[in-house]
Amino acid sequence: MLGELFKGLRTTLKYMFTKPVTVQYPEVKRPVRERFRGRHELKRFGNGMERCIGCALCAAACPADAILVIPAENDPEKPNSPGERYAATYEINMLRCIFCGYCEDACPTNAIVLEHQYELSFYDRQSSIYTKEMLLVPKEKGYGEIPPVLQQLNRRPSPPAQIDL
Amino acid sequence: MADVTLVIDGKTVTVPAGTNIVDAARAANIDIPVFCYHPKMNPVGMCRMCLVEVWTPMIDRATNQPILNEDGTPKMGLMMNKLQPGCTTPVSPGMEVRTKTDKVQGTQRGILEFLLTSHPLDCPVCDKGGECPLQNLTMGWGPTTSRFDYEDKVHNVKPIQLGDLIYLDRERCILCSRCVRFEDEIAGDPVLGFDNRGRKWEIISQSDPVFDSKFSGNTTDICPVGALTSADFRFKARVWELRSIPSIDPHGCEGANITVDMRHNDVKRIMPRENDYVNEIWIADKTRFAHRFASSSERLTTPLIRRGDKLEPCSWEEAIRTVSEKFVEIKNAKGSDALAGLAGDHLANEDLYVFQKFMREVLGSNNIDQRVGSPADLPLNTSGYRLGVGQGTNLITLGKESSVFVIGADPEEEAPVYLLRLRGIKRRGGNLIVANGRSTKLDDAATTRLRYSYGDEVSLVQALSAVLVQENLAHEAANQRFKNIANLRQSLGSINIAQAAEKLGIAEETLRETARMLASSQNLIVMYGHEAQQVGAALESALENLVILTGAYGRANNGLLPLLPHNNTRGAIDMGIRPDAGPGYRTLASAGSSASEMWTAAQLGRIRGMYIAGLDPVGKFPASRAGIEALEFLVVQELFLTETAKLADVVLPAAAFIEREGTFTNAERRVQRFRQARLPLGESREDWRIIKDIALAVLEQTTITLPAVSKSAQQQGRGKNAQVSTAVAVAESPSAAWNYITVSDIAAEVAERVPGYSAASYSKLSATGSNGNWGRQVNEPVYYDGTSYENTEGVGVQLASLVEDPKSTIAVEVPKVSPQKSGDGLTLVGAVANYNGGTLMRDSLLLKRLMAPTLFVSNEDAKRLNLQKGDQVEVASVTSSVVLSVNIDPTLKPGTVVAYSNLAAAPMGNLLTAPRTSVRVTKVEA
Repeated sequence: MLGELFKGLRTTLKYMFTKPVTVQYPEVKRPVRERFRGRHELKRFGNGMERCIGCALCAAACPADAILVIPAENDPEKPNSPGERYAATYEINMLRCIFCGYCEDACPTNAIVLEHQYELSFYDRQSSIYTKEMLLVPKEKGYGEIPPVLQQLNRRPSPPAQIDL
Repeated sequence: MADVTLVIDGKTVTVPAGTNIVDAARAANIDIPVFCYHPKMNPVGMCRMCLVEVWTPMIDRATNQPILNEDGTPKMGLMMNKLQPGCTTPVSPGMEVRTKTDKVQGTQRGILEFLLTSHPLDCPVCDKGGECPLQNLTMGWGPTTSRFDYEDKVHNVKPIQLGDLIYLDRERCILCSRCVRFEDEIAGDPVLGFDNRGRKWEIISQSDPVFDSKFSGNTTDICPVGALTSADFRFKARVWELRSIPSIDPHGCEGANITVDMRHNDVKRIMPRENDYVNEIWIADKTRFAHRFASSSERLTTPLIRRGDKLEPCSWEEAIRTVSEKFVEIKNAKGSDALAGLAGDHLANEDLYVFQKFMREVLGSNNIDQRVGSPADLPLNTSGYRLGVGQGTNLITLGKESSVFVIGADPEEEAPVYLLRLRGIKRRGGNLIVANGRSTKLDDAATTRLRYSYGDEVSLVQALSAVLVQENLAHEAANQRFKNIANLRQSLGSINIAQAAEKLGIAEETLRETARMLASSQNLIVMYGHEAQQVGAALESALENLVILTGAYGRANNGLLPLLPHNNTRGAIDMGIRPDAGPGYRTLASAGSSASEMWTAAQLGRIRGMYIAGLDPVGKFPASRAGIEALEFLVVQELFLTETAKLADVVLPAAAFIEREGTFTNAERRVQRFRQARLPLGESREDWRIIKDIALAVLEQTTITLPAVSKSAQQQGRGKNAQVSTAVAVAESPSAAWNYITVSDIAAEVAERVPGYSAASYSKLSATGSNGNWGRQVNEPVYYDGTSYENTEGVGVQLASLVEDPKSTIAVEVPKVSPQKSGDGLTLVGAVANYNGGTLMRDSLLLKRLMAPTLFVSNEDAKRLNLQKGDQVEVASVTSSVVLSVNIDPTLKPGTVVAYSNLAAAPMGNLLTAPRTSVRVTKVEA
């Protein structure tokens, strides 16, 4: 009876001197894995242009119908994206999103990427809708990397993605 | 034609001789991929996608007998020892087609890889993506990879504008020539062509202005890639996001079937919906592009009420209360005849029915019309009902042995789809006799052209009828049904044809041959348009007589086919929006005032209150302003704040056609249903609902006394069964007659009360929508075009004409030829322009294509008045004048000038003093 008590206390004592497994969130944040799927970002090309061409394939692929794309024609003088078309409106409803990453798979220009930010909470439903301004990375940073899968291909990808190569 | 039996991939198929292999395979449910072949056009075999192995029995040249194998079966040989294009190879007996062999599949892969070598594969930004045959066929038959480098592809400047409506992306074009062939063969506008050769081969427009065709939008539908795309739909949405709502063209009397493609609450595009009876798979550009009026920011969204000098927004309750109180006040003070109503022929049948019901049964006034009261108004057409084309008429079935006699019509401008249909009849071997006072687009397709001077229309038709009578070609069978026919025969018998021909300026032999052609045709349709209807009753009865004498009445594909001004003119006449007859042409005890009489009556103070729905008399006929201003009370129900609405005391915002349900009746009396695509804009309401609310409010205020008969009926009922009695009581309270909840309640009443329309109840209209029973394979066009034309709403119901009722008798009138007005003045003939810049073209891309205000002058008159093309002239009648630019039409005969009378840019409402106005033309010196 008493032996068992000490047995338990010994375990307690042992863990008092080992490194704790818990972290003090939110003061401390654990790094996430490389392929973690968090909040979306809309990437840019090296020259600062938007990668998104407003093709709405992400919205078509989305199983939760969380994405709304309304396309428009680029002004040839001041294009938002290479080519004729860009997304005038791009919205993701983060309450609907299930972070499956299908949008990323569907994207022909690697514009949408699920990044590592995971702190998504809202005081009301309206603020769960992330607009294009919120999703688009600043002009001077966030150029989408050429995904490894493209580099591994022994052939050319579809034309919009060829801009990277 | 005899049938041919052949074997395709082991399946035995029997098809009519002359069918090509692609269509034969479709009949056996075997897919042969195609790009350039289209079932509506002649095959050209350009794309080589349909190459298949064709094996035929070998023939011994010496004996002309089939060579047999040892086992007695015929020895088969590969045709030409290589693959054959399925679209240009007709089937032959004993043929065996193989579409799945390695050789065929390898070729298909090769062709697709080749096509894709110069295709940019920018599907994500392409508007065709999602309904693109190139995508579909590449997925189904193509290679998975390309060995071709992107940099080596053809690179062109991205889209170039082929006109204001169509974009051409030359990189995407696979040079199938479908667009070129459509414009050449079907539309008859040879405006597109090929330029250069090899890698630089491209489509160009040869016309000025570029791509000058009223059917250009159809090329975007049949384009098998995204090379031709519509400027209207450019980057508006992806096609899979769209919701397609079946609807009917709100512009023309042909009643083209369309789908309204919606995303959320926005109209994204208008597409054709297949209906072989009406528009096949084509629509005119006006139908496709002029839809933005419905989404215009200028639409009325709240009821307006006059406070002092201004119209201010108010609530519906206030508007309805004011309207009903004023109507009751005027009715009590001055009687029912002090109230009048005008309803436009753009409204749906249901609106028009309740409108006249409200005017007649609630207000008790027969002062109803659909015209604006101008002296240039066309007479309300009844011939199209009396001797109209028979039930089951389908112009697509006409060809050899059929004739169409077109008089005084310009189908390209009045009802563009008919131009395609008539050209089709000619292409299939029919006779197309075009009689007109000037050249129109239809002349190119005509087999016989008759050129008359304006004013001679009746004489021409009389002369043709006289030939029929004098050469004993006239149809004898049904004489007893037509009263007065003996008189007609007698008067026609006395016409000297040689003299008449000389007077008309047409060779006698041409006249006689034309008449013989009309008499010998199995099917005869007589089409007459705006310029013929200007002549009035004399020409209508002359044409009726022609139809009677040729026996072309009372059966399908025979009879009169008037081109009417608007989409539902026929319906408005049928519904009794006219002072002299009720719904279904029921004669009235006392006729009311017509629109022109209303303006005089209003000025004299006899008409005090008016209700105008969907019509703009002040805009179209400015002289009506005096009458309208004299009114005590005016209600206008409209989409926009028109000139008339600006004068109103109460303006009620109505819902546009995409925001509501209803039916339209087209020129062939085909009733077709359109569906609601989106919610009414702002607070606007459906026309019928507004009329119903006003009717109920009026009934609430008038003291109701039930007729004695119904009271006794109630008491009897109460004795037997309480439930029955309440039912009777409800049915007989006047407001119960207005208990419509949905538009189908009105449709049910129309079916019950309007003779003829019982055939067109909603259940019968929807019954035609199953199993693709309009004679084509379901989704066939999708197979060829990728674009959906699928018809889920049915083909509509064609109502019977009066003559189809065997008990009906028709009085034949001997037309009086009015003597030609002699004088030195010119006669102005008002023609109709399709792109007129009217209310319904608001905000559309077609505004860049508006018809310029032009006066067409004959060579002789131009010489006499010393006019050159481009000169400015003042055209003056006794009432007003307008300045137009001159164009010389060498086909016009002297004494007549022609101008488009419906252009918003050059309003002629004041100028015209009759359908044909005598005018003075003077040159304006710059």
